[in-house]
Amino acid sequence: MALRAVLLRQLRVPVQTLALASRKSQPWSFSSCIRLMSSHDDHLSKEQVIGRVLDVVKSFPKVDPSRVTPDVHFQKDLGLDSLDNVEIIMAIEEEFKLEIPDKEAVKIDSCNLAIEYVYNHPMAA
Amino acid sequence: MSVSTAAYLARRAAQKERVQILYRRALRDTLTWAVHRHLFYQDASNLREKFDANKHVEDLDAIDRMIAEGEAQYNKWRHPDPYIVPWAPGGSKFTRNPTPPSGIEIVYNYGREDND
Repeated sequence: MALRAVLLRQLRVPVQTLALASRKSQPWSFSSCIRLMSSHDDHLSKEQVIGRVLDVVKSFPKVDPSRVTPDVHFQKDLGLDSLDNVEIIMAIEEEFKLEIPDKEAVKIDSCNLAIEYVYNHPMAA
Repeated sequence: MSVSTAAYLARRAAQKERVQILYRRALRDTLTWAVHRHLFYQDASNLREKFDANKHVEDLDAIDRMIAEGEAQYNKWRHPDPYIVPWAPGGSKFTRNPTPPSGIEIVYNYGREDND
């Protein structure tokens, strides 16, 4: 018993102080500790928007997936119809749970416009 | 009549936009009526075939007449309770929680008096 106590007194395990120090000196990122209670605060990042919009366009049956880039124009480059344009925009609306007014939906003609519209929309999910 | 003047092209472009808006509303309506996806796909392809059958009509008046007929049919078949995205006007969450006016703040002093 005494031997054990002596041995324990002699053993010293190096304490990991480095992790604690670095965590304390880091600026606290408040968005991780605060729960956002409203749905108006979080925004999608541009890469996420681009990735999801391109996935929607690529999974359209009349589109050749290898030709889809973020700059592609639906009617000129992909050879789609104006009604196909409408269908793609409806698919994008369903993907991001948006409601695009009719007048603006008709004007979205290319991937660029679609990505910008979704990115700037406050309620894109 | 069929000379490509600016007026002709402008009329064709306006008709194209009307057709696009009509197709969009009809497709949305089809989605509200046919809730299950396999039924929706069926109905959507039928609708697309109806639109494609008249794709090559060139006469402006005939096109106008067909668009008017299409809009009459759309008005006849409109759903009384369409699905609208909740935060949009007409949806269920519209103006549910408006943002509070600025300048209001909640002071958490937990019952302590101010002159302590």
